[in-house]
Amino acid sequence: MKTKIAVLSNVNMNFMLRMLKDEFDVYETEGYGNELGVLLNPGSTYHEFDAKFTFFIMDLMEVLEHDLTDYGIDSNPHIKRWFSLFESGIDANKLYYVSDACLWGMETEALFDSQRKLALEYAWTKSLSQICEKHSNVRIFPYRKLIEKLGEDNSFSLKMWYMGKILHTNEAQGKIAGAIKNTVNLYTRTPKKVLLLDLDNTLWGGIAGEHDKTPVVLSDDHTGLAYKNLQRVIKQMQENGVVLGIVSKNNEADAMAIIDGHSHMVLRSECFAVKRINWNNKHENIIEIANELNLGLDSFVFFDDNPTERELVKQMLPQVMVPDFPKRPEELAGVMLGIYHEYFEKAVLTKEDLAKTKQYAENAKRVLMQESVSDFNEYLKQLEIVVKPVDAAANAERLVQLVNKTNQFNLTTKRYEEAEMLQVLKDKNKLVYLYQVKDCFGDYGIVSAVIVDVSTQIPVMEEFVMSCRVMGKRIENAIVEDVEKHLYKKGYSKLKTMYLKTEKNKPVENLFESLGYTVTFKDGENKKEYEIDLSHCPNRDYCVKMDTNVQ
Amino acid sequence: MKEKILALITEVLKVPEGTITEETQISEVEAWDSLMHVMIIGELEDRLGISFSVDEALELANVKQIIEKAEQ
Repeated sequence: MKTKIAVLSNVNMNFMLRMLKDEFDVYETEGYGNELGVLLNPGSTYHEFDAKFTFFIMDLMEVLEHDLTDYGIDSNPHIKRWFSLFESGIDANKLYYVSDACLWGMETEALFDSQRKLALEYAWTKSLSQICEKHSNVRIFPYRKLIEKLGEDNSFSLKMWYMGKILHTNEAQGKIAGAIKNTVNLYTRTPKKVLLLDLDNTLWGGIAGEHDKTPVVLSDDHTGLAYKNLQRVIKQMQENGVVLGIVSKNNEADAMAIIDGHSHMVLRSECFAVKRINWNNKHENIIEIANELNLGLDSFVFFDDNPTERELVKQMLPQVMVPDFPKRPEELAGVMLGIYHEYFEKAVLTKEDLAKTKQYAENAKRVLMQESVSDFNEYLKQLEIVVKPVDAAANAERLVQLVNKTNQFNLTTKRYEEAEMLQVLKDKNKLVYLYQVKDCFGDYGIVSAVIVDVSTQIPVMEEFVMSCRVMGKRIENAIVEDVEKHLYKKGYSKLKTMYLKTEKNKPVENLFESLGYTVTFKDGENKKEYEIDLSHCPNRDYCVKMDTNVQ
Repeated sequence: MKEKILALITEVLKVPEGTITEETQISEVEAWDSLMHVMIIGELEDRLGISFSVDEALELANVKQIIEKAEQ
């Protein structure tokens, strides 16, 4: 079924709506300029249509009614009015994108005070940002950037405006439609997690270790700058949560001398969570990295200038995404930006995303420690794992992400819309437990969630998910026990739970058997139901300290 | 120029080739509503440099008038 979207505007956007129809189920607007009317009237066709996403593409000049008076940033009556009406129409179950501002009209060219245009645009954008901070389901649609890229002269057409209140040229409407498609698609695809990079002729020009003194092409001008700019884009991706790795055929010492020593390197050693700088086959290195980071091969994108290497990885590891490499270095930064948008970009960034590289790098260290400690219990003890319950309602965004993105350690693989989860959090018959995990190497962040339904006499653990980053450390035993104890204290004597088989959740297939639960129902391999007597739980094996001060 | 105009209109309206001819009356083509009319005028100006004033554009009744304007 196509996603239902609505685009509301104060100018004629009908042509753009037609462009969106092949991909989405689009709300048929009743003209234009009544965007707040249809939003605020519960009986409107807009509400009947029930769009999942609503885009407000607003022309600021029309909002201002051509009144360019300087009222001050926070007190423009037109802008205040628009946002106060808009805010009263927000439905917590829906997602809204509102355009930022580009003030266009012939008279702005005649403004004596050249700062006024910017000030008016800023007044709109500031109000919009404030609304976005208050309502997590309202987000900014980057309209201004589209117009800036295209140029005002190519974006607006007076003739079409006079003929039919169509403000935007065909080209601009095409760009807006494209941006709307991309935005909606961010919600429907699973982003990749790791970008694996080659070094020679990829991150820099030339070959490490070939010349004694003047090594590689990487500088502040000419082709060297093209490579530096590529690194800048990658660095920003990393800051947005993309995990970086090196898979390169070099002498490690030569490569590291450049990475840590070259004055123009943007990506230093600490930017990479994993490194495989050796002469092994790249696909073998990639498999090793996948094991080390505990990720599926479908989480990886591999970027390498050598077509033979790319082809080999494509053939040996078809799950790994291998984008084409541009012919000229000057195209590198743009191509990388495209890769970011296509494979990595997310609709919302959480704190966990921002800390990801550190976490994966720490994980790689943990694996090394595991290899050096022969006794598993001893290893777990040395990790000094601390599990801390955290307030679920205060971390709703992470809770939604965790439940929806976890495939392996997941009892039911039921997915929740953000609004649905907010309902669960409010529901007195649901207990939601959320846990943060730390160890001696660092903080994993919030990595596990449990939802228990207490509407029936015997409570039912409906959801138990845990991030793959902390699997295999018996942390689940401690978490289940924490939930059991909490329920027992509340007066419940039994607990039920279940397992619904999916392609990926094998890791929890026999979890509850191992924790001493009795199987009460079994439907072949597809479904199991369990029960336990909370007054007689067996002793569980784990090396975890529970930090019970809920934050 | 005539062929280019016919091709452009056909493309914007997304109608089968041959639907739009020199004899076509705008009111006879279902897809050619007022919105599409504005888009066609915009494209004629952008891509073929054929410029109508707003009044002229709103008064157009058939394809022949467009071609005549282009040939002026």
